[in-house]
Amino acid sequence: MAWKKMKSKKDGAIRDYDMKSPRVRVLYICVVILCIAIVVTCIFPAVWVLLAGFKDIKEFNRNATIFPSSLDLSKLKKTWELLKFAKYYRNSAILVAGATVCAVIFNGLLAYGFAVLKPKGYKIAYGLVMWSLMIPATTSMVSLFRNINLLGLNQSFLPLWLMYGANAFWVVLFKEFFEGIPRDLVEAAKLDGCGPLQIFIRIMLPLSRSIIMVVAIFAVTAAWSEFLLPYLVLNGSGKETVMVKLFTFKDTPTDAVSVLRAVLFSIIPPTILFVIFQKQITDSAAAGAVKG
Amino acid sequence: MKAKRKFKRSDLMGWLIMLPSMILFAFFVWEPLLENIRLSLYSATRFQLEEFVGLANYTKVLRSPDFLDAFVNTFKYTFWSLVIGYLVPIILGILISETVHFRGLFRVGIYFPNIIPGLATIWIWSYFFMPGKNGVLNILLSKFGISPQIWLNNPKMTIPLIIVTMTWKAAGSTALIYMARISSISPDLYEAATIDGAGIWKRIRHITIPSIIPLASTLLIMQFISVFQILYEPMVLKNGGPNNASISLLMLMYRYGFRDFDFPAAAALSVMVCIILVILSGIYMKVTARKDDYA
Repeated sequence: MAWKKMKSKKDGAIRDYDMKSPRVRVLYICVVILCIAIVVTCIFPAVWVLLAGFKDIKEFNRNATIFPSSLDLSKLKKTWELLKFAKYYRNSAILVAGATVCAVIFNGLLAYGFAVLKPKGYKIAYGLVMWSLMIPATTSMVSLFRNINLLGLNQSFLPLWLMYGANAFWVVLFKEFFEGIPRDLVEAAKLDGCGPLQIFIRIMLPLSRSIIMVVAIFAVTAAWSEFLLPYLVLNGSGKETVMVKLFTFKDTPTDAVSVLRAVLFSIIPPTILFVIFQKQITDSAAAGAVKG
Repeated sequence: MKAKRKFKRSDLMGWLIMLPSMILFAFFVWEPLLENIRLSLYSATRFQLEEFVGLANYTKVLRSPDFLDAFVNTFKYTFWSLVIGYLVPIILGILISETVHFRGLFRVGIYFPNIIPGLATIWIWSYFFMPGKNGVLNILLSKFGISPQIWLNNPKMTIPLIIVTMTWKAAGSTALIYMARISSISPDLYEAATIDGAGIWKRIRHITIPSIIPLASTLLIMQFISVFQILYEPMVLKNGGPNNASISLLMLMYRYGFRDFDFPAAAALSVMVCIILVILSGIYMKVTARKDDYA
């Protein structure tokens, strides 16, 4: 048994010196088994979607089993083409790309103002931004939708992109990171004759790769997952995203297996993103939210 | 003191740089909040405002039987969200903090549901909660010889099961926050407690739990706030049913706005939700400010 590993345990109530006692060992094994069970619960639904996606509708309705009778990729391909998912993927990609760019640039610039430039009276603006952390955007959906329509911006990606430039939580993340960048660098650049915008582009951004990464990952997953406003703004325009399509299944009768496969298509990109960036994502989730 | 300094050219530059983002905040966040108040005081057909009607929209909403259902449901959602949604991340955080083996796997595993889009989560769970022998949970239960359940169709179970779904999705990220707090506890505390003869359970009770209480009290208010954001979960799972058993305040707002196109009524309802949220946020600010005093 790998009890030696306990020496590296730095937190928690069970310490390495406890492990001499057989009772504690049993307790520890129980805790590990329980945690494994929890992780299985977290992952199983996604695995089930993958497996059930390989069933056809007859098999889905008749056989009460978890595993499909065959793993035939052509079934998935058929649904992909039938539902025209390539189009929805493309639209989602357009939405996600624009939203991510807006999220980094506009929230970054505002945080740069709060953390470095601090123009006279900035605290008022900062206070307003902090308050909007508390009011979820959904509550003002009705008047926002009305404004978008009155400006003639419906059926366009533009309002959906720009919306990501006004996220209080990301402003706070940027602000805290910028405050950690040594003041001397900014002052030195000023002496060299750099204007505030040049300092942002030449000094702040290159030093902020890690936080840009974090905000970009958050923005990508949020923009990919969002559906209410995209549904209201884009539905019927030919620009529907993957999530808008998933949302319309609610009102249009579709066979269970097609919906299931659409769900599978919708969770593949974020899962790939998570597999690649798991460390950055879990670390920032643990650290960022404490302050937010 | 630099508070009294004059407005300089560099200040103007600063505001100019912040201006585009401020305009976005104004358009997407601040203006709609105020616009909601104005909208709620008028009558309208579709997008066009007609005449000032005072608080008529409010009384209309408050008198509708749907509002009463949604209001009562908010308390049910709050109750279950405290029992399930609030406690699960604490327990997860404490449990995983006790492990050394597979710790990395556990962290990634519990966070995984977070990156699944919310709507996809709801669809997935709708298959799990399907009544009849094909529902995934019923397939699993049948392996233990338990007969199929009707899950969400039982009005008593709808809200707790919706909370289960939401907890499945969100608990992992909150648990990571608790884990970060627990791992910052000094090992000396545990060692001193051991010398005093405290067993493992006592150490958790007297060291681990007290040290996460400030964080837990902050997250408690966030939990209250999150209940008022419940919208699409009951809408997609059961369309607020069975028989309004799971309708939430924001879902009712969505119905007023985008099913009946009664924007003023929807606005009146969101103003009321906002007032509740502002009060809760005020409490939140008070609690966090007090915590900073001790730090």
